[in-house]
Amino acid sequence: MYDHFETPEPDEAVKLALRRIEESTARGEGSDVDGLEFNEVVVNMGPQHPSTHGVLRLVVTLDGELVKDVIPVIGYLHRCKEKLAERRTYFQYIPIVDRTEYLASINCEWAYVMTVEKLAGIQVTRRAEFIRVITGELMRIASHLVAVGTFTADLSPLGTAMVFYMFRDREVILDLMEELTGARMMFNYYRFGGVRYDLPDGWVERCRDFLKMFPRKIKEYEALVDDNAVFLQRTQGTGVITQQDVVDYGITGPNARASGIDLDLRRHRPYSVYPELDFEVITAQHGDIFDRYRCRMDEMRESLKIVEQCLDMLPKGPAQLGSLRAPYVITPPPGSCYVGQENPRGEYGTYIESDGSRYPSRLKYRDPCFCNLQLFPKLLSGNKIADAVAISGSIDLVLGGIDR
Amino acid sequence: MDIVLGILRAILFVVIAYAVVFVAALVNIYFERRAMAFIGDRLGPNRTGPQGVLQSIADAFKMMGKEDFRPLLADPVLFTLAPVTVMIGAVAIQLVLPYTQGLLATDLNIGVIFLVAITSFTTLAILMGGWASRNKYSLVGALRAAAQMISYEIPMLLALLIVAMIVGSLRVSAVVAFQAGYEWIGFYAPFTFLMFYIASIAELNRGPFDLPESESELVAGYATEYSGMRFGMFYLNEYAGLTIMSMVTVTLFFGGWMGPWSGALTWWGIDWIGILWFLLKTYVLVFMLVWIRFSIPRLQVDQLMGFAWKILIPLGLVNILATAAIILWVPEWKWGLAIFGWVSFFAFVGLFDPLLKRRLRKQRERQPVVSA
Repeated sequence: MYDHFETPEPDEAVKLALRRIEESTARGEGSDVDGLEFNEVVVNMGPQHPSTHGVLRLVVTLDGELVKDVIPVIGYLHRCKEKLAERRTYFQYIPIVDRTEYLASINCEWAYVMTVEKLAGIQVTRRAEFIRVITGELMRIASHLVAVGTFTADLSPLGTAMVFYMFRDREVILDLMEELTGARMMFNYYRFGGVRYDLPDGWVERCRDFLKMFPRKIKEYEALVDDNAVFLQRTQGTGVITQQDVVDYGITGPNARASGIDLDLRRHRPYSVYPELDFEVITAQHGDIFDRYRCRMDEMRESLKIVEQCLDMLPKGPAQLGSLRAPYVITPPPGSCYVGQENPRGEYGTYIESDGSRYPSRLKYRDPCFCNLQLFPKLLSGNKIADAVAISGSIDLVLGGIDR
Repeated sequence: MDIVLGILRAILFVVIAYAVVFVAALVNIYFERRAMAFIGDRLGPNRTGPQGVLQSIADAFKMMGKEDFRPLLADPVLFTLAPVTVMIGAVAIQLVLPYTQGLLATDLNIGVIFLVAITSFTTLAILMGGWASRNKYSLVGALRAAAQMISYEIPMLLALLIVAMIVGSLRVSAVVAFQAGYEWIGFYAPFTFLMFYIASIAELNRGPFDLPESESELVAGYATEYSGMRFGMFYLNEYAGLTIMSMVTVTLFFGGWMGPWSGALTWWGIDWIGILWFLLKTYVLVFMLVWIRFSIPRLQVDQLMGFAWKILIPLGLVNILATAAIILWVPEWKWGLAIFGWVSFFAFVGLFDPLLKRRLRKQRERQPVVSA
């Protein structure tokens, strides 16, 4: 029927993988079956694959069930976020920041707004600072819920139940945010020097209800998996990130803290009102999948603690600078500024270079997922496919942030 | 005349077998989706028909309406044959299953062996489909399926041997007749039942043993390249398998169609109450299967094989030796078997998890703390 057909030419990443196989075969590694040139198979995982959580593409070299080599290919979600900044005023760019790392969009907004404020020397009102901490920590919980939920869904059908429990409770947070900002994911809420709206009536009480309800839910999740022998067997001791890796690759966030590195920008490069708040930096010792999972669970508890303190300390006063109108057009003095902020996934840095005009002349993000992704080839090689999937789930990548 | 009657009888049983496969699959798909939704705190399909009961039928029509698509590089013969072959196991296994008194296609004298032999057709079909698709995910899934099903057939056979030893016959009808008066083999040999049940979950490719189609790694495993009704055949077989395997379990371990008042309503030599009991027992087991799937994370390949070869098979061999010794030397051997069976059952259930966790805890303590 099909006499003439052409298989498509493999692209650069696949060619690289094939070349590496040839090299390793030439070195005498790998092949152990007579008569075969090599045993390895190159498999494309993604950009459409159920477990890559987005459009990450991994060109995986498999030797049976073993992962030999991984080449991550990114850029499928590239939307010129950095270039767009150069044609927008500082104010117009705020909603676009939301769309970089969409699971923790308000934290990204915070990072951008903080950088511009530092650059232009704008003072934030005290009430707005507290509201920012509250919303930021709520989104941290929501983001961790997605991270842990999808990670358990990678492990098993049990996780498909778990992921729905987690999304159910994330919904409560999103409802709170919707009431406050009018949006559920792309908030466009922070303004230079404040926030767009003050807390609506009864919001604090509803938030407290959530704080009361949520610790029970965390216990419920833990009861589901923490005591499950199969879960422990699959997660403990696999995918270990050593402290050397953390330093070499610039890993930040829960992934670094799970390896015992006490690094949390809220504590070590404090911004906003974090110095006044009492919270712990969660660390673990083994750096494996299980520890990363535990770190996220415990961080949710810490975030609850922070939100509760903020609600107690919430001062009266304006939530926005001066009048109701935020400073729409700002022209920071020439210069550059970098601010790192503790995003749920690690250090989310924003670097802005200003030439004194209404537009930033250059904007650059330091995205935690981008740095964490670099570790993939090292971390996944030598594991079974199933483990590789579990490990990549536990690293918690958001492609929106990586590709920007 | 006899020949005509024989042919009619054969046609009747073929129709029944296919009807059971299709109805069971449609019911199970709906049942599992609702149960899964219930476990996941969702609603599940509830729009098509009252409480969504027509959802599977709508899905079946959707599948039939899809394009009959074959990938360019696939092996055309094997690719087409695989979805047909996959149905053979589920249909042919019913040849020796007594649905109720008087409703049994043939009473093969090697019925119990036939049960195991015929389930291998599914493995064959999966291997065919996975190979013919020319897709790496399919191939890995198919090879996993083959390795897994061959491994778990051995503990399954060991468990069936014990049933044959207790009954003293390989006829399925004799197995059912032995269990008259509620003397269920499941009560005499609960540990054997447990082994059989675990092996049958693995044979069905269901969670926690659903590696051949673990969607998070292999997309859809061996069925990745299949679509439309060809995929539908794999899907139907998988879900019909729930009912068929539970029917086998009920027949072998839980008295088949026998229950209170069975025999009270007999028309044309068929005991109709028995069918109800058979279905009821079957669906209790089907619910167990669904429940287990959503309670235990997926095992990993080496853990899966290790569990079969290092735990189930040695225990099965010990079990056979002990059962044989009890039957030979203990005068009241049924009671002896029951005591041995329940002690080993509770020992396995009670010790396995704590021992595994203890081992994991020790491993955890030994696990090096990461440092620079």
